[in-house]
Amino acid sequence: MSLLRIEDLHVEVDGKPILVGIDLAVEAGEVHAVMGPNGSGKSTLANVLAGRPGYDVVRGSMTVDGEDVRTLSPEERSLHGLFLAFQYPIEIPGVSNMEFLKAAVDAHALGRGEEPPTAVDFVKRARVAATRLQFDPDFLKRGVNDGFSGGEKKRNEILQMLILEPRLAVLDETDSGLDIDALQVVADGINAFRANSNAVVLVTHYQRLLNYVVPDHVHVLADGRIVHSGDRRLALELEERGYGWLGG
Amino acid sequence: MAGSAADAAALAERILAQGPSSYAPWLDRGPHLDLLERRALPELRAEAWRHTNVARWYEAVLHGTVTPVSSHRVESPAEVEVVDFADPRAAELQQLRGEETYRLSAQPITALNALLLGAGAAIRVPAGSAASDPIRIVDLPAAYQRILVIIEPDARVELIEEPSTYTHRLVEVVVQPGGQLMHRRHQAASSHRECSLVAVRAESGAHYELSLLSLGSDLRRNDIVASLAGVGANVTLRGAWRLDESRHLDNQVAVHHRVPGGTSRQTYRGVAADRSRAVLNGRIEIAPGAQQSDATLNTKNLLASDAAEVYAKPELEIYANDVKCSHGATVGAIDDDAVHYFRTRGIDEHTARTLFVRGFLREAIDDLDAAQMLGLIQ
Repeated sequence: MSLLRIEDLHVEVDGKPILVGIDLAVEAGEVHAVMGPNGSGKSTLANVLAGRPGYDVVRGSMTVDGEDVRTLSPEERSLHGLFLAFQYPIEIPGVSNMEFLKAAVDAHALGRGEEPPTAVDFVKRARVAATRLQFDPDFLKRGVNDGFSGGEKKRNEILQMLILEPRLAVLDETDSGLDIDALQVVADGINAFRANSNAVVLVTHYQRLLNYVVPDHVHVLADGRIVHSGDRRLALELEERGYGWLGG
Repeated sequence: MAGSAADAAALAERILAQGPSSYAPWLDRGPHLDLLERRALPELRAEAWRHTNVARWYEAVLHGTVTPVSSHRVESPAEVEVVDFADPRAAELQQLRGEETYRLSAQPITALNALLLGAGAAIRVPAGSAASDPIRIVDLPAAYQRILVIIEPDARVELIEEPSTYTHRLVEVVVQPGGQLMHRRHQAASSHRECSLVAVRAESGAHYELSLLSLGSDLRRNDIVASLAGVGANVTLRGAWRLDESRHLDNQVAVHHRVPGGTSRQTYRGVAADRSRAVLNGRIEIAPGAQQSDATLNTKNLLASDAAEVYAKPELEIYANDVKCSHGATVGAIDDDAVHYFRTRGIDEHTARTLFVRGFLREAIDDLDAAQMLGLIQ
């Protein structure tokens, strides 16, 4: 059974078809890159997986570990092991990273039928992750993404992924807007996360991140469907030749 | 009384017929009686009462809906002088106050307070003292109450008004040169109809800070008037409120910069849910000659339901040309994108909204424990 299986997925936003028949299977232990030009539907794929309101699945299925997630709420999908790193992480002034992460970790523990971790254990874990993502010690006290630079926001998404340990991480343009140092930090985080028990879908416009996080499979999305699949050499070819030659 | 509004004239009639309260006989009630005789009580459609139906409060006055507590409970550190407002010593403290903090004798609602007054405390914080414990106004045994606070030069203290029930409370505060008062008003949700007036004078180099935490009530009106009356005075006002059901909270705030070099900061955060109504009218007045005044007012409001109402209006009146003054007011809904973001991390929608609202209010709260105890945040 594939960790993620998407079959004949059709998605509309405001009645407009955006995805018109996506098929994709991701196995445990794999990293897939979904590439494509702007407007090809990459972010729609990421958002519909996470259950964003306004993204309507009109046909097809998407299963994670065999369970169709279409009818699950966003929080149920998270508890089921799905994680989306946002392209534009939301700023939430007044809610500290500490509170936010603790609420998420507690919800996941309760979802597994376990006791939530003690505050002390949680802080230890959060500090380790914060250090790995090169945040200052005051990170936990700061408001969620409040006044964060673009790079800090993206690093925070990776930090949340490391703490929540999802089965499937979908990273939506996590590399965009990063300088080379931040890209390295983010890539290190993703590589630390990679394991035989999970899978990663990297949604990206550029192949730059793929120099650091080497994918097992690369797919090209154009006009709402996957038009080409290959191994990492495909990404290099795209860098050289652009998306035009694929014809959409 | 159901259905019919109490009429201002009828109320004045009644109070004049029964005569003024005999509590604190030293208090000069002459001007107050005059006001009533001139029928000066605000009518239903008075501009200052646009968002609060004053007739509903008059009903509470007529029917005496408050059952006062039996004892006078004011807790204070040893160095602070506290006397019952009826005590002749209170008259001396009123002398120490100097001129009125505000044109009290011209205020009809204050006139009702004076004529019906039944309990109060006069408080003096001696020059140079720095009490480590706060003064706590726990309860006063009457529906009409008065609290006079005099902070002598360079004294420092914290004053806490704990949640209690009254029909009208007047708090008069003078912070003398170099003094500092941290004033906390905690207002629990209630089914009563109440009005209050806080009138403050901050003299030179004095600091007055107000932290208002409120849940609203059947009718709750807070008038707050602060004057910066000495060079370099500083007034900081913070308010956070969250209203449910059909609760009501009307905050009418005025900050007067009367002399040069004063600084005032106002920060308010309000959340209105269900069928509640929250009002913040914030007025900044800079008098002619009050140069180098620095005043800001910022209010943000969340409408948590379609049936809730929020009125947020800053007003500026500036008669000096070398001043810094800014204001901002927003009214918005709970951010759906933020709620979705929480949910993608496994946090259910209810918890997500609770955390969001708490974060929003927190910007105007400096004592989270108190806010939690009051039930303002969860």
